[in-house]
Amino acid sequence: MELTYRNTNGTHILELEGRFDAYEVPKLVEWFDANPEAKFVLVNLSGVGFIDSSGLATLVKGLKRCRNKGGDLYLSNLQQAVLIIFELTRLDKAFTIFDEETAALEALPN
Amino acid sequence: MRIALVSTYPPGKGSLNEYAFHFVNHLRQKPEVSEIIILADELPDGATYPTQEDTSDVAQLTIHPCWRFGAWNNVLRIRQAVRHVKPDVVLFNLQFATFADRRIPGALGLLTPWVVKSSDMISTVLLHNIMETVDLSKAGFGGNPLIEQITRLAGNIFTRVLLQADLIAVTIPKYVDILTNKYKAEHVVLAPHGAFEDIPEPDFVLPDGPLQIMTFGKFGTYKRVEALIEAFELLQNQSTQPLELVIAGTDSPNTPGYLEGVRQQYAHVPNIRYTGYVEEEDVPRIFGDAAVVVFPYNSTTGSSGVLHQAGSYGKAVVLPNLGDFAELITDEGYTGEFFQPDDADSMAQAIQKFLDSPQHRQQVGSQNYIAASGLPMSEVVDWYLLHFERLLQNKTTSPITLSQESL
Repeated sequence: MELTYRNTNGTHILELEGRFDAYEVPKLVEWFDANPEAKFVLVNLSGVGFIDSSGLATLVKGLKRCRNKGGDLYLSNLQQAVLIIFELTRLDKAFTIFDEETAALEALPN
Repeated sequence: MRIALVSTYPPGKGSLNEYAFHFVNHLRQKPEVSEIIILADELPDGATYPTQEDTSDVAQLTIHPCWRFGAWNNVLRIRQAVRHVKPDVVLFNLQFATFADRRIPGALGLLTPWVVKSSDMISTVLLHNIMETVDLSKAGFGGNPLIEQITRLAGNIFTRVLLQADLIAVTIPKYVDILTNKYKAEHVVLAPHGAFEDIPEPDFVLPDGPLQIMTFGKFGTYKRVEALIEAFELLQNQSTQPLELVIAGTDSPNTPGYLEGVRQQYAHVPNIRYTGYVEEEDVPRIFGDAAVVVFPYNSTTGSSGVLHQAGSYGKAVVLPNLGDFAELITDEGYTGEFFQPDDADSMAQAIQKFLDSPQHRQQVGSQNYIAASGLPMSEVVDWYLLHFERLLQNKTTSPITLSQESL
């Protein structure tokens, strides 16, 4: 899985591409560990066609971490297969999910 | 957040006690949880639960025994206890036979989540099995096809009653599909079983002495050891290497005296060790010493905690060729050798493959370890807390509305 980082108007944007499973989880964990100050994070999942429970759990940990700092972790551009997993676990109710990254950036606090 | 957990709990020996123990251990570590009250079953012979030590770094834990396996009035007693405790959320750790091994008290107990919700509490259920996938005759609820059909109908009705809870968590994706499609339930969530502990990578070294073939659980209903003992007999006859069969665990609450009957029936088979109840601190040794872990099930009633434990210890597993297990293997990355349920020859052949090849044992054990350690229970607990927070938020922000039907 590839992880690309951008910062737009203070929002940390992570773009993931590839399978997001137990073997790829450390990349995102390392990013969070290296960026402890990150409060508002947007994860663009447009390039992720598969996510397993470890990937979900890592996003949940990121969400809790951001909310503990008074921020939030948002998701955007979920492919259908990934969205189904979020719906199966009802974690789609726990995250704020945007169809498009641009919509997310418009809605997020700067 | 104050959470009440309605469950069996060690040293109580009821089904799902170990799941509850590990779940609570992880839940206590979460900073958003201030107190956990376990509404547990009363222990036999007037025994009491050990007093829990107060520790400042984890949530306070209280065990309040308030129901009895097999009793008819559990629903009323639990409701009363919940009203007294006034938690933020109530979580029921359930399977269909949690409250009794007889139909009427068992079914009455299943009303409890709905009754608790009716008391204006947030009522959530972790349902380890669903009626649609249980082979009733093998799970101890059948015998007569007509009675089995009536039991299944009652199961459907009580599933609908359980679905009145605010949230239903199940451990297998297929269960979400069934409950969502058949019952049109929209508040069923997948919450994977999770690995009990963060256990270090196993070293795959076995103790000196005979190779141990181990089975672990509560036996007598759908977990039966007769075919396993017969398979073990075949293996001992064929093999030159010393072997030992370890039957670790107790009778299912539904089948008291089962293992003693088996012990007498197969007294002529040497090298079988019955451990009785395995205390929590002995679990790592029991699994660690085993060369192979066998699941002599002829039906399943849900995801297997034992499979997750076996995976955590990097064990090669021998599994029945049953729907739920095959799905679990596929979905969660486990692997093993399969046998036809209740077929001693087939089981012996599956076990033999692991006895013959230490490399195969280690390869399968390694894959199972990776599968088991993929999602620790500590992280699954976070999912529950997110759901609880959402329910609490909805409760405080939703205006009370009356539907047309209720007017």
